[in-house]
Amino acid sequence: MIASARRSFAIAGATFTELARLRVFYVLILFALVLIFSATFLARISFQQELQVTRDIALGAIDFFLSLLAIVATAQLLPRDLEDRVVYSILAKPVRRFEYLLGKFFGALALLAASLVVMSILCLIVLHFREAAALRSAQQQLAPLGAEQVAVATRAIHIAGVNPVFFSALAFTLLKTAVLVAITLAVSSFATSSIFTISALAMVFLIGHLEGIARDYWLSEHAVGWVTRAFLAVIVFVFPDFEAFNLSDQLAGSALLAAPLLLKTGLLALFYIVSYLIVAVAIFSQREL
Amino acid sequence: MKAILIPLFLVSFGYGKLQLERAVLPPSSLSHSLQPVLDPTERIGQTALVGILGGFRAVVADLLFIDGFFAWERTDWSHLLMRLRQVTMLQPHMLMFWDVAAWHMAWNASTAALNDTTKSPALRQRTQYEYFELGRDFLERGIASNPQRPELYEALARLYRDKYQDHARASENFAAAACLPESAAYDERFAAYELASCPGREREAYDRLHALYLRGERERLPTLLGRLRALEQQLDIPAPERIPPAVKH
Amino acid sequence: MTESAIRVARVSKYFISPFRRRVTVGLSDLNLEIAPGEVYGLLGPNGSGKSTTLKIILGLIPPTRGDVTIFGQEHNSVRTRRHIGFLPENAYYHKFLTGAETLRFHAKLSGLSARETPARIDDLLELVGLTRARQARLSTYSKGMLQRIGLAQALIHDPKILVLDEPTAAVDPAGSRDIQNLIASLKARGVTVLLSSHLLTQVQEVCDRVGILHRGKLLREGRLDELLAVENQMELVLENASPELLTNIEREVTAAQARVITRRTSLTSLEQFFLKVTHDSKE
Repeated sequence: MIASARRSFAIAGATFTELARLRVFYVLILFALVLIFSATFLARISFQQELQVTRDIALGAIDFFLSLLAIVATAQLLPRDLEDRVVYSILAKPVRRFEYLLGKFFGALALLAASLVVMSILCLIVLHFREAAALRSAQQQLAPLGAEQVAVATRAIHIAGVNPVFFSALAFTLLKTAVLVAITLAVSSFATSSIFTISALAMVFLIGHLEGIARDYWLSEHAVGWVTRAFLAVIVFVFPDFEAFNLSDQLAGSALLAAPLLLKTGLLALFYIVSYLIVAVAIFSQREL
Repeated sequence: MKAILIPLFLVSFGYGKLQLERAVLPPSSLSHSLQPVLDPTERIGQTALVGILGGFRAVVADLLFIDGFFAWERTDWSHLLMRLRQVTMLQPHMLMFWDVAAWHMAWNASTAALNDTTKSPALRQRTQYEYFELGRDFLERGIASNPQRPELYEALARLYRDKYQDHARASENFAAAACLPESAAYDERFAAYELASCPGREREAYDRLHALYLRGERERLPTLLGRLRALEQQLDIPAPERIPPAVKH
Repeated sequence: MTESAIRVARVSKYFISPFRRRVTVGLSDLNLEIAPGEVYGLLGPNGSGKSTTLKIILGLIPPTRGDVTIFGQEHNSVRTRRHIGFLPENAYYHKFLTGAETLRFHAKLSGLSARETPARIDDLLELVGLTRARQARLSTYSKGMLQRIGLAQALIHDPKILVLDEPTAAVDPAGSRDIQNLIASLKARGVTVLLSSHLLTQVQEVCDRVGILHRGKLLREGRLDELLAVENQMELVLENASPELLTNIEREVTAAQARVITRRTSLTSLEQFFLKVTHDSKE
């Protein structure tokens, strides 16, 4: 078991180093950082609105670029190893195919986590200064109206800025990214080119954001015709629900997030990841190299 | 063997997936925020758009809201209304959107309609009233999407109080807000104040205000003391039961 | 009777194109037995099935029919692969790693302990002549150097069987000679070597037995001296023989009713000549 983990981690380490050298990695990180920074220059309406817009754009940028990076980086892993024949020298060793895939998964995930940390740190710095400015403004303008008004405004600013839900949103973004890596590996395990994998994942990404709606319709009485129901069933049974990792609703509403929701979502992510990795291993084990 | 394992895996995965997803995400909360359309195709289109935007929903809503702000500056009420409908559809849990939408309709647009000298007085009043209704509709749909948030109940109470002069409904909504977590400290007081303005319910108002008075210094604000004394006079409360004259905030 | 190091029994491999339109025969009823400590050369033109055979032995692709054992064990298990080292044809390794890092990576995959790895890396780098290049990234290595690091990673875990796919392709004569010497030294240590090649001259120098593959079938197999012997002919190589002696020998041959087919000065090989000249010029 330990030897198996050691092999997987050796492959994970090599994968991390390999991906960190991809030019696309640096370009995407740069774009995300520029977007986060430029969010500070948007039109100001009220102190709360500006803070909220900055935060929403930052989170949206992190979500988008991390998802893009997950797909593009992971899609190249297997084709590259196959083309360069690196995979032969690895799998001719006492390495099981699932250890190889697990190593690829954890290597890609480690890189994405590191990217998330970098982007989050910039985001937090920007929001911290914005929130401090907003609080000063609110106190100056509302002090004459009484402590209650100041308290209400302060609370609204905290909701619009950095709060526990914000960190949960970042964690959920990472979970969603992990699910994307697992699905990309599953598709890559039978695909013959990285372009096919990226195109397929673009469709999965889109459908995954609509899966909840398909599920509601499939479960309700509204869907008619067996063809429609069959089509919806395929979506519901195969594609993940990416909206489950979208906390923008909760972010908008409150500074609190229920612990059971965090736990359930984490469990859902784990279920997706394990299932798609099982598919990846099952397909890759049969693949002729 | 594969012919058995693959379908078995698919069914187990699909079933497990469905159960977990339903536990995490109850049926779409989007239904309350959707435009009141009758055509199912339009409904599907709206929900599909919301789904497609995914994590960018918040950003798009913010940008549309900013565009709505500029429409307000131009007093382009129809464009503003369209944007407000869009942002509340995209972000149904953003309380500020519902609140500001109601404010724009019931306060700003309605006032502009009333002051529109190009129209007859009757038409102006009717248009004003229609804007009140739009404001009320925003708040009611906002409450349906966020039933545990007191802010929108408070906003609705203010709407009833200031625009409809319906103090009974205003009182109900302040009272509803007061029952929810994180409600404003003044909600209970305001509910009682509004009740005091309802003919035939003065006694009920008095009992509530008196109960608040008994809670201590924190509630003994000048308005409360004033309203309580006025009700004491109106209801002819016996002297020993009245609040001492020396009591001031 | 000692167990075979590698035993391939009635292995066939068919490649079916998508939508089952065409079936390509990769291998047809292949039987092969390689004894422990033997150097076996698998020869054949491109597309004959050499790489397919090696991949099946290594478990990289499954055979359509037949089976393969390694020292009597199932060939496709992780435990069996501990005994095998593989040098793929024209392989690249992680270009961003240095020579030493590459070997460390492969050592971890092979299950070597952290304690024994550094010494093993040093030994192998010296064996393949890459000690000076150990800190250079593989992206800076020449083809010959890549082939040598490939050999080193194949040997990292001291395998009992070494499988080499075109080991001397794209390598200069000096490098080729080094690889042949290495194979000879491994053989002396009892390592079984299976190599595939289409460079016949080089194979001839180093293999005990060869098998000739063509279109997936093993046409001939056997010891080199048996396969290459020409019936009824003997070679006699003389040194410092005078013209009178040569004339006397020819007379005796004719008297015995035998025939002298060729009489010429012995020639060295072009490879040997090249090595001697380049070696002398270094001095």
